[in-house]
Amino acid sequence: MAATRRLQKELGDLLSEGSPLKKSFRDIVVDESNILLWHGLIVPDNPPYNKGAFKIEISFPAEYPFKPPKVLFKTKIYHPNIDEKGQVCLPIINAENWKPATKTDQVVASLLSLINDPEPEHPLRGDLAEEFTKEKKKFLKNAEEFTRKYSEKRPAD
Amino acid sequence: MGEAAGASSPSSTPQLSQLIVTVSSAKLTAGGGLFTAKPDPYLELSVDGQPPRKTDVSRKTSTPKWDEHFTVLVTPYSKLDLKVLSSNSIRTDTVIGHAVLDLHSLLEKQNGKLKNFNKTFELRTDSKNKAGELELSLDGMDIDMRLYPKRSRNGTRANNATNGSAAAMSPSASGTAASGNSSQRNSTAQQGDGNRRQAPRPPGRTPPPVPPPPNTNAASQNRNAAPTSTSPPSTSAEATPTTATTATTPTAAPAANEPLPPGWEMRTDQQGRPYYVDHNTRMTTWERPQPLPRGWERRTDSRGRFYYVDHNTRTTTWQRPNTESLNNFAQWQNWRGGRTMDDFRQRFLYPQQQAAAQEADPLGPLPDGWEKRVDSNNRVYFVNHRNRTTQWEDPRTQGASQEDPLPDGWEMRCTAEGVRYFVDHNTRTTTFQDPRGGPSKGPKGAFGVPIQYERSFRWKLGQFRYLCNSNALPGHVKITVSRDNLFEDSFAQIMKLQAFDLRRRLYIIFKGEEGLDYGGLAREWFFHVSHDVLNPMYCLFEYASNCNYSLQINPASSVNPDHLLYFRFIGKFIAMALYHGKFIDSGFTLPFYKRMLDKKLSIKDLETIDAEFYQSLLWVKENNIEECGLELYFCADFEILGKVEQHDLIEGGSEIKVTEENKEDYINKMTNWRFTRGVEDQTKAFLEGFNEVVPLQWLQYFDERELELMLCGMQEIDVDDWERNTIYKHYQRNNKQVVWFWKMVREIDNEKRTRLLQFVTGTCRLPVGGFAELMGSNGPQRFCIERVGKETWLPRSHTCFNRLDLPPYRSYDQLVEKLNYAIEETEGFGQE
Repeated sequence: MAATRRLQKELGDLLSEGSPLKKSFRDIVVDESNILLWHGLIVPDNPPYNKGAFKIEISFPAEYPFKPPKVLFKTKIYHPNIDEKGQVCLPIINAENWKPATKTDQVVASLLSLINDPEPEHPLRGDLAEEFTKEKKKFLKNAEEFTRKYSEKRPAD
Repeated sequence: MGEAAGASSPSSTPQLSQLIVTVSSAKLTAGGGLFTAKPDPYLELSVDGQPPRKTDVSRKTSTPKWDEHFTVLVTPYSKLDLKVLSSNSIRTDTVIGHAVLDLHSLLEKQNGKLKNFNKTFELRTDSKNKAGELELSLDGMDIDMRLYPKRSRNGTRANNATNGSAAAMSPSASGTAASGNSSQRNSTAQQGDGNRRQAPRPPGRTPPPVPPPPNTNAASQNRNAAPTSTSPPSTSAEATPTTATTATTPTAAPAANEPLPPGWEMRTDQQGRPYYVDHNTRMTTWERPQPLPRGWERRTDSRGRFYYVDHNTRTTTWQRPNTESLNNFAQWQNWRGGRTMDDFRQRFLYPQQQAAAQEADPLGPLPDGWEKRVDSNNRVYFVNHRNRTTQWEDPRTQGASQEDPLPDGWEMRCTAEGVRYFVDHNTRTTTFQDPRGGPSKGPKGAFGVPIQYERSFRWKLGQFRYLCNSNALPGHVKITVSRDNLFEDSFAQIMKLQAFDLRRRLYIIFKGEEGLDYGGLAREWFFHVSHDVLNPMYCLFEYASNCNYSLQINPASSVNPDHLLYFRFIGKFIAMALYHGKFIDSGFTLPFYKRMLDKKLSIKDLETIDAEFYQSLLWVKENNIEECGLELYFCADFEILGKVEQHDLIEGGSEIKVTEENKEDYINKMTNWRFTRGVEDQTKAFLEGFNEVVPLQWLQYFDERELELMLCGMQEIDVDDWERNTIYKHYQRNNKQVVWFWKMVREIDNEKRTRLLQFVTGTCRLPVGGFAELMGSNGPQRFCIERVGKETWLPRSHTCFNRLDLPPYRSYDQLVEKLNYAIEETEGFGQE
């Protein structure tokens, strides 16, 4: 497949020792039969999400890198920019901004920064965005509870 | 087997399957010397009393061999009536013997499978005497017999349906089903696949245990959801899909206590809401599944994906049909049908203007006793009824400013569009150039007329019409269609006729309607048929993108096994529309017209059909790609029907890396491939069909926008509506450039306006609601004028955003000149 070499290289970079995302994006699993579908674990640093970890799925279209990948949360998360179905609105992979030179590590880095610092001005969940801006304390409490209840266990190290 | 059937329950309308009946041969016993000569036997095959299919007649033999195949649609309960008759040219044909094939009992013996199954049937005469033997071969059926229990002799299908399926659904049977063995379960998952195209089952699919039927609790919930359902379940299957008439037929909600189709299970989520699991496709849905409506069949493609065939209309779709969706669709069709007809009356190329010109004849009325007439060549002449003479000269201007007489042997004629041309009888040639000379208007183009003139659409149209007229055939060709079966009837008739017959005058007959076709019915026919065949629901065509409702060939059209035949038909049909000067409903994408004209497609053309792909390719073009790790090679992937295929752009391309040096070549090849991928065969079939009726080189005069105009016609553009619904970026409504723009739009004629609209939006057609409903890639997108660039630049357009980049020109004349240039020159300029 035309996209295979590119994706293998990107995967190699992400798995390498020197990857700056080594701690925060891990457990990357790619099915041998389908390199277009990746699974991984997002480990955020900032509260309230630093109490857990989140499974995501990255799916690449057959026309990659001419078309951007899609990111989907498989673990429930209480976040203004992620909806109940796990969909994320990430500007870097938006059709208008996408460039074929954009790499998956950039996409993941951009996702991590969105998780760590929500952007309530571009919300997917209006209710949470409002809570985030108006009642920050309540939001933090709810999000932390939600994270404890639904998120994955954080890796030991 | 019979016991287990209750769980998955027969749907009240059994699914249709294809059965291939091969009529091999027969041995006929001579009937006691009654036949002095050997008979001329043939066989009639009729399914459930439908009109029979016949074999050829074998001459003078009592051991006829036919070896003919018939593909028939059957239900597991069908009865096939087989009759051997003797052909007789004088008297009516006599029945030699007949046999009845009860499919259900045969299927029961064969476990629902008929694969190249040979059987000999005994033929009996009416008086039950043996009349011979008949050899048949049956093929193509594979169904799960547990779903089709034996019916009692007097329990006809109608009976079964009206009683509801309650009787068949004894709750106690459910346990039996759940404990059925796994091989039976596998076949459950496969039911409905029984046809020739059956694909190997996707590996690794192990269906979960057969689900229990919905419990009474669930049933009552559903009854609440559909309180009006007093009618028997079968009514939900009554809705035939596409015919507009069904939209008015009220269809009852499905009966709540109706059992789930095979392989379905109802579950309840944490909130206690019921949802439904389809173990066949491993999908869940909130909506309660309904049995397939009558005439629909589920099939599996080579990837193991399900699709649905509507035998009523011979169409396919991925979407599982249900009464509601079909109803909606019928309504949509109906609604569109209504507006379509309005729309079609509003379209024109030129005639309205001509008519207007005649009304307002500046010369005033003719003198008494004179009459103006038009001859068969559309040339105007004048009749003087007083002395019964005719003349070419207008009596009102006679002697005033007459044109010089034509040279000897020359004659002037007019095309249907009123363009003058000249016949030189000396050399038997025709030309548009006036032999009398006259003031030359600038340089002459390839066709020997001034370029200015040649570029005019009217002139080109005249050329094309001339070619059509001079290649017309005498007489007319009748095409008889029924309105409810328009697509299929038209397909059958067009494909039956020779291509040259389609150039005769068309005579369209709508069955059951009186009305002589003097052109009006043909116009209607073209409009309606195009509306049907281009309908994306049939998977032959698809919308170019979400910002572009123009149509292009659907790469997945092969879900319809006969798709190439259909494309050939559509090619012929479109050629006929051009040839006979009629309009079609929806138009194609500009790249598709370019392909018809055999023009090279550019990267810019990509924008209208795949903006994302275009943006990325443009990025590669405009940026240094060394050292940004693109890892591009001269190959590309394409997903079609769930399967990803790799294509090498050049030989061994998957090993050739794209570099700064060779990227231009890569971009060209990639662009080209993006347009052709998955549609080559279809395009070829389309163009072949087209070329048979109208040679493609006849289109050489036109560019893609003119071709669109010819096929779709123009609509009168409401400039006020346009101006009202235009937005501005970096311009104000009262900026002089904006004022000039609208001044120009008001000054140019409708054809130019249409071209300007095409330039900016990519199509000449407007949505029903006018400019307010113009669509862009992200939903509604109004016409936008943006201030971009310098006065030396040409205007540019972004068809996906309906945006015109208008540089701040210094004067009205400059703006007119630049805009004119941009919309007249289609190749490479303007649109960048």
